[in-house]
Amino acid sequence: MNIQGGVQAMGKSKRIWLLALTAVVSLSVVTACSGPNNAKKNTGTTEPTSAAATTETEPKQDKVTFKIFNGVAGSKDGNTNETTIGKLLEDQTGVNFKLEFVVGDLNTKIGTMIAANDYPDVLIPDAAIEEVLNAGAFIPLDELIEKYGPNIQRVYGKSLNQMRSKDGKIYFLPIAAQVNDFIPEPEAGAGFWVQRRVLEEAGYPKIKTLDQYIELIKNYRDKHKDENLTGMVSLTHDWRFFATSNPPMHLMGYPNDGNVTVDTNTWEAKTYAGAESTKKWLKTLNDLNAAGLFDKASFVDNYDQYIAKLTSHKVLGFFDYRWQVDNALNVLKDAARKDPSLDGFKYFPLPVTFEEGTPDAYLDPPGGLVTNRGIGITVSAKDPVRIIQFFDNMLTEENQTLMSWGIKGETYEVNEKGRYYRTQEQIDKIDEPFRESFGFKYFSWNWPMYNATSTLADGNAKNVASQPEVFQMTLTDKDKAILEKYGVQTYSQLFAEPVPRPYFPAWGFAKEQNSPEQLWEASKDEMTKKYFPKLVLTTPDKFDAVWEEYMKEFGKLDTAGYEKWTTEQVKAKVELANQ
Amino acid sequence: MRLFFKKLGQQRALAVMSVPFLIWLFVFKYLPLWGWSIAFQDYKPARKFMEQTWIGFEHFKFLFGDDRFLRVLRNTLAMSSINLFFGFVTAITLALLLNEIRNIAFKRVVQTVSYLPHFISWVVAASIIQTTLSPDGTINQLLVGLGFLDRGNEILFLGIPEYFWTIFGASSVWKDIGWNTIVYLAAMTTIDPTQYEAAEIDGANRFKKMIYVTLPGIKSVVIVLLIMNIGYLLESGFEPQYLLGNGMNVDYSENIDIFVLKYGIAQSNFSLSIAAGMFKTVVSFILLFMANNAAKRMGEARLY
Repeated sequence: MNIQGGVQAMGKSKRIWLLALTAVVSLSVVTACSGPNNAKKNTGTTEPTSAAATTETEPKQDKVTFKIFNGVAGSKDGNTNETTIGKLLEDQTGVNFKLEFVVGDLNTKIGTMIAANDYPDVLIPDAAIEEVLNAGAFIPLDELIEKYGPNIQRVYGKSLNQMRSKDGKIYFLPIAAQVNDFIPEPEAGAGFWVQRRVLEEAGYPKIKTLDQYIELIKNYRDKHKDENLTGMVSLTHDWRFFATSNPPMHLMGYPNDGNVTVDTNTWEAKTYAGAESTKKWLKTLNDLNAAGLFDKASFVDNYDQYIAKLTSHKVLGFFDYRWQVDNALNVLKDAARKDPSLDGFKYFPLPVTFEEGTPDAYLDPPGGLVTNRGIGITVSAKDPVRIIQFFDNMLTEENQTLMSWGIKGETYEVNEKGRYYRTQEQIDKIDEPFRESFGFKYFSWNWPMYNATSTLADGNAKNVASQPEVFQMTLTDKDKAILEKYGVQTYSQLFAEPVPRPYFPAWGFAKEQNSPEQLWEASKDEMTKKYFPKLVLTTPDKFDAVWEEYMKEFGKLDTAGYEKWTTEQVKAKVELANQ
Repeated sequence: MRLFFKKLGQQRALAVMSVPFLIWLFVFKYLPLWGWSIAFQDYKPARKFMEQTWIGFEHFKFLFGDDRFLRVLRNTLAMSSINLFFGFVTAITLALLLNEIRNIAFKRVVQTVSYLPHFISWVVAASIIQTTLSPDGTINQLLVGLGFLDRGNEILFLGIPEYFWTIFGASSVWKDIGWNTIVYLAAMTTIDPTQYEAAEIDGANRFKKMIYVTLPGIKSVVIVLLIMNIGYLLESGFEPQYLLGNGMNVDYSENIDIFVLKYGIAQSNFSLSIAAGMFKTVVSFILLFMANNAAKRMGEARLY
């Protein structure tokens, strides 16, 4: 999962949860033993440190190894100092981390820690953070940050108030904060995707509205009736159902706030699951289905089947978030790179809204801090000071550059204007095994860091992929040709510029376990999962009757209460941001 | 009493050997019962036992007051009854038929093929079932090819709630039929061959031998298994329903286990999960006793 994928996926804590459970079911996971115990014994001697260490104020200290548990499955367990980056950081601080990633069910694992009151030194509880806080497993960081965290203060500075818990203390550092300038990613995080051959045949029209998009697909299918094509598919499997229920929000021109849309003037949050916009979106799918253009199996297929369909060349269009379909898009991309004649099967993102004049919001806006995820030091930690010093040292400009760009001359170059870039050779060299051994993988996510849309002080992008120079190098001739047709250099230039939203994203608001908010979400999910398929698959004349039925059920929920709660959260966040 | 100790002395090796198992039983089967107290609390993790708030039967009231719970209870009972009935009937039938096959090679092949699905996990099995039943899957293609359906009108089998129980039952039978026959085939080998010879002399044909010799021969095994399975009536399984269920068939596919997952564990409402679990255990216990008693009355083999 890439960085963005991580952020988005975690939006739906319960869904992640269910995913984890599916993983349990599917693998009947045997908890792996914690790997070869090769934590190096402290020798007491300190190695000569690198130049960067001279900036350290503390005298050289003995080497220590701390344990860290990461609630997001991802990499192999291991020591950070076995990677190039981790070794450099160890030379600077003398601190090594032994990383352990979750296997199987997160809640079970965290629950066991809580029950035993025995934690690793550092904990990244991901979706289970509320339970960890309730259990009092994190130590307050305020004093530590005050004393040892100049860089932490610089990076999180303006958000420190947002990070405070109810008792006014800071217990964890959110996973990433916006620093310096905001640069949007070169590819939109979401969109209505369409096969490039469809655009080519239509002469590269500018598509702005849902109606135009549907028209485009219809026309293509009608001309190619005998090819057994599918107009649109939709992802509905389990917790990923939001790929089908979120579009109304985007079609109205709002960014991904989860269950609500937020008005930037009044900061009112409104749900849309029972609104006119949702009706309109489902009616469109209903018509599409009646015309034989919608893949009915969308409602029974699982995620793998969905990805398989996207790579089958038969599907003309779909809506989804990029991180969810990355696998499929990469397969098509690789195929087209080897054989340019397959380029027409690649998908192109379009900024589609209901109305022509609505600016879209598919690019995530500069926002606040995601405060329901983070990294904290536990009550079992041996030496919190060393840990916070390590975090602080990570957040220096040089180390942030190191963690995403690597080492100058080895994994990136600087041109005479001071712009960072990578040569083709370097791009080719940095594959998955290299990312692992160099440490890009361990240090790409879930540490205190600048977020992906930040820039470094010298104006270069923090994230390699966001650097325009690097992005241009990844494009094929066909890519450049199609972007030229639309008069843009990056895909995101097709989309409207994001409007800053200091609370963003609303899905990141921490909800208490077993609270009315959480119950509303669970019940709403269940209702939409039941009624949306009915609404789409029914005959068009019965659509209104089924909608009535759905409204009757939906009316039983305390939607007003949920909206009130969300609005309060939004306003509180905005207020803190304006302080 | 003296007799007891005398026997114990005589069999002390046996007694000593069984001690570890008694400890195991106590630690893993009886100690956890303590956890049932959580069902009567407003349980919060990480708090000590004395710090929990007691709320009595609140969670049980919530469960039985909820339409959804009654619905999942119905689904659970329906699906496990289907499983129980068809599982028995098909497995016994197959065992009887296999027993009649004289060609050993063919018998081995049939047996192997029929019990292979038991060894694939439900995740894989569910994928196979989903693909087979999808609009462009084998079954729809067959129906279209035979002219029962028009192209474009393929049936979305997993999208029709009323079909779910049938699909579930058929899938379970497919997956476990071969495995379930093993115990009956084993039971059949214990039947004295002289009975068949006697039957043959009396003029019984193969079918009659099946009815009057083989079936009564495995009767005790069947009854014991039946009693045990009745105890599991509220355990209709979790994986097939979870993996084959979707938003469209949720009214028929959701069972108690999935309900507990959704409204208990996923919401960190552990008390509710435990209340539901307790309900299941108590009902299973009653069912088991009833079945055993019935068997006793009829003078049949029984569990205890």
